[in-house]
Amino acid sequence: MTRIACLHLPLFPLAARLRSEPELSREALAVVEGNGNAARVVAGNRLARGAGIKPGLSLPQARALCPKLVARARDETCERAAQEALLEVAERFSPRVEDAGEGIAYLDVDGSEHHFKGASPELELGRALLAAAEGAGLPARAGIASSKLAARIAAGLPDSPVVVAAGQEAEILAPLPLSRLAPEVEIAETLERWGVRSIGDFAKLPQARVASRLGRSGRDLHATARGLDPRPIIPREPPPAFQEGMSLEWPLVSLEPFLFVGRAALERLCLRLEACGLACIRLELALRLEPDGHQTRAIDLPAPTRDAKTLLTLVRLDLEARPPGAPVVGFTFAAQPDRPREAQLSLYGPAALSPDKLATTLARLFALLGPGRCGSPRPVDGHLPERFSLVDFTPPPPPEVRRAPRPGRGLLAVRVLRPPVALEVLTNGTLPAEETTPVAVRPVVAESGAKRPKIEGAVKIASGPWGLEDGWWTEEATGRADRDYWDVELAAGGLYRLYRDRTTGDWFADGIYD
Amino acid sequence: MASPLRAVPAHAIESLEPVVLQRVRAALPEEIRARLRSARELDRTRRDEAEEHPPLATAVPALDLLLDGGLPRGHLVELVGGRTSGRFSTLLAALAATTGTGETAALVDLGDGLDPAAAAALGVDLERLLWVRPGGLKEAMAGAEMLIGAGFSLVVLDLGAPPVHGGRGAEAGWLRLARAARAHGAALLIGSPYRVSGTAASAVLKAGRPRALWQGGGGAPWLLGGLSTRIEVEKHRHRLPGHSEGLDLVVADAPPAPTVVPPAPRVVVEREATWQEPLRAVGGRR
Repeated sequence: MTRIACLHLPLFPLAARLRSEPELSREALAVVEGNGNAARVVAGNRLARGAGIKPGLSLPQARALCPKLVARARDETCERAAQEALLEVAERFSPRVEDAGEGIAYLDVDGSEHHFKGASPELELGRALLAAAEGAGLPARAGIASSKLAARIAAGLPDSPVVVAAGQEAEILAPLPLSRLAPEVEIAETLERWGVRSIGDFAKLPQARVASRLGRSGRDLHATARGLDPRPIIPREPPPAFQEGMSLEWPLVSLEPFLFVGRAALERLCLRLEACGLACIRLELALRLEPDGHQTRAIDLPAPTRDAKTLLTLVRLDLEARPPGAPVVGFTFAAQPDRPREAQLSLYGPAALSPDKLATTLARLFALLGPGRCGSPRPVDGHLPERFSLVDFTPPPPPEVRRAPRPGRGLLAVRVLRPPVALEVLTNGTLPAEETTPVAVRPVVAESGAKRPKIEGAVKIASGPWGLEDGWWTEEATGRADRDYWDVELAAGGLYRLYRDRTTGDWFADGIYD
Repeated sequence: MASPLRAVPAHAIESLEPVVLQRVRAALPEEIRARLRSARELDRTRRDEAEEHPPLATAVPALDLLLDGGLPRGHLVELVGGRTSGRFSTLLAALAATTGTGETAALVDLGDGLDPAAAAALGVDLERLLWVRPGGLKEAMAGAEMLIGAGFSLVVLDLGAPPVHGGRGAEAGWLRLARAARAHGAALLIGSPYRVSGTAASAVLKAGRPRALWQGGGGAPWLLGGLSTRIEVEKHRHRLPGHSEGLDLVVADAPPAPTVVPPAPRVVVEREATWQEPLRAVGGRR
């Protein structure tokens, strides 16, 4: 027999709002729907309910009862995110999850109880469900039964989680008031006249006579009262992206308050990604601007990460570089999920980098330095020494056994000067231009005032020239090079690699032997 | 009044010492007693740690000899050297040795002077090397700290050729880096044109004045053969300052020919007079 669990978030609009703004739990809080004085209370927390605030009251009425009441409008973004989080919690326990909306999720748990030990494995399963929901900031209730309706009603009972044994649905339902079945108004009034108060009383009525008097709706309701609910679970499609966000009470004009609220949203997003074993490879930020503006921006990450601090730093840098230009009244973060990097640790080889730590570090470096400043270097096909390319740093796994260090080759390296330092060079002018030897150098005065190595003095020894031609087959001037290279040692010390551009006759130093 | 110890022979004092020590120890609070170590125990612990975390060999004989086997893990080592001192070659050799054993290493290259093709020729496994190109010293130090925290075995921070972008950095910053290296067991090698790390460095080595090795001359064209210098200890925990080792570096594609000591400068330029020469005698921009 199919076993179905129901996860239910009571007072869903309130729970969703408190998940986004947990600091409001210490205040008398009411979630309202509508504008101005026409706004009606939808739900209130325990403090508000204690002050006499009930659903349906208008906001002025509620404020009259409780002057310190904090009112928040229903926020679709918050509620969507809370519902997604609830479904993700359910998906940790079963692949077949139905999104019933408004803080309700059904999951097929047939056979899942085998993963739990104890006198009542299903009860343990229910407790695990509640613990997982609690971890996601959702004060949920759980019920397990053989039908969706019974599970839903069990979830609403006290002492959650409640497990209804197979075939005992009718017994559990019997003492409950008829209103739990949410009958249609006409049927409810008819049953009221008949003196039927509880579900048990209704279930005792003959099925055929109920059908003849109340019609098809009454027949279905009667079957439900007897614990029969043939509706199957309709599994949902997984969401394309993880989203978190909220509408703001006041338009924000400065960065710090936005980052304060954005941080909490990013933390919730990272928590959800972590729960699904995923990480964020691309973060999209949609801003709603006052009065009717809308702006989206995307931040690509060098490696999948789920570190909220890193993501927040990237958001800060992006907003600082490109301010929205208008007050922000709402925002949504959408994370494009990707599988985090994995690594197999070795017992005898060198320690591998933790993929999570590495991804976070790369993202932080990316945030600190900007794009194109960090990666694994690769040579570019060609002869120009200043050329290079950077690729994503994904080191291969370490060897199973630590290798002994190879003996050094004792080679002299060149420190490349990027960009090359422009020089004035005195040559022995008696020879043809191609064979002129530099005899003294001094730097060209930099117009930008940038600090560059000072290369100046008489040349002690010059070795060259070596011709270098590259990109002569291309039409673009940027890819072409026609140079004469020299190795020179200055009398004051220092070995440099100079070149003369044959097309312009200008001299440059592009490297220091070091 | 004579001291009671005078009447006791020396060997008796030695035999009494453990008893006295035991009494003193017994009188101490538990939390202090648990942390007490004798000098012998400390020495043994240090040796055990050294065996457990062997230093990172750099495959540069001079450096390994001066540093007792290589770069110590968990410590900051500073290599000081001006232009053409062999500093950059030594740093790349250390990176080649580390990546060659299968460990990952990072180069924080403030001078932006790495040529990937040349580094690969030196033996650096580029797949295991993370190259970071910061814009200033502050960014470079922050980046190095992140990399240490990420678990890189070796982090090399090269400040480039002078002038350094960002000056010398605050000493507190270097101390912070040294503490991070100690906490994560990473070897941190700083290459700089002048002393920067102050008291944070466990060892400071200085590359001496280099001597360029040329081949040819006497009618034959000159060809750069390499560089010869000495690396000297300026500061080390277990070694007196002044110890030095020779370091010879050769150009990768230089032919095997006898090197010669360079001759005296052939041209002495009277700067003010010479630079007023007509443009035809001068190549390049004026």
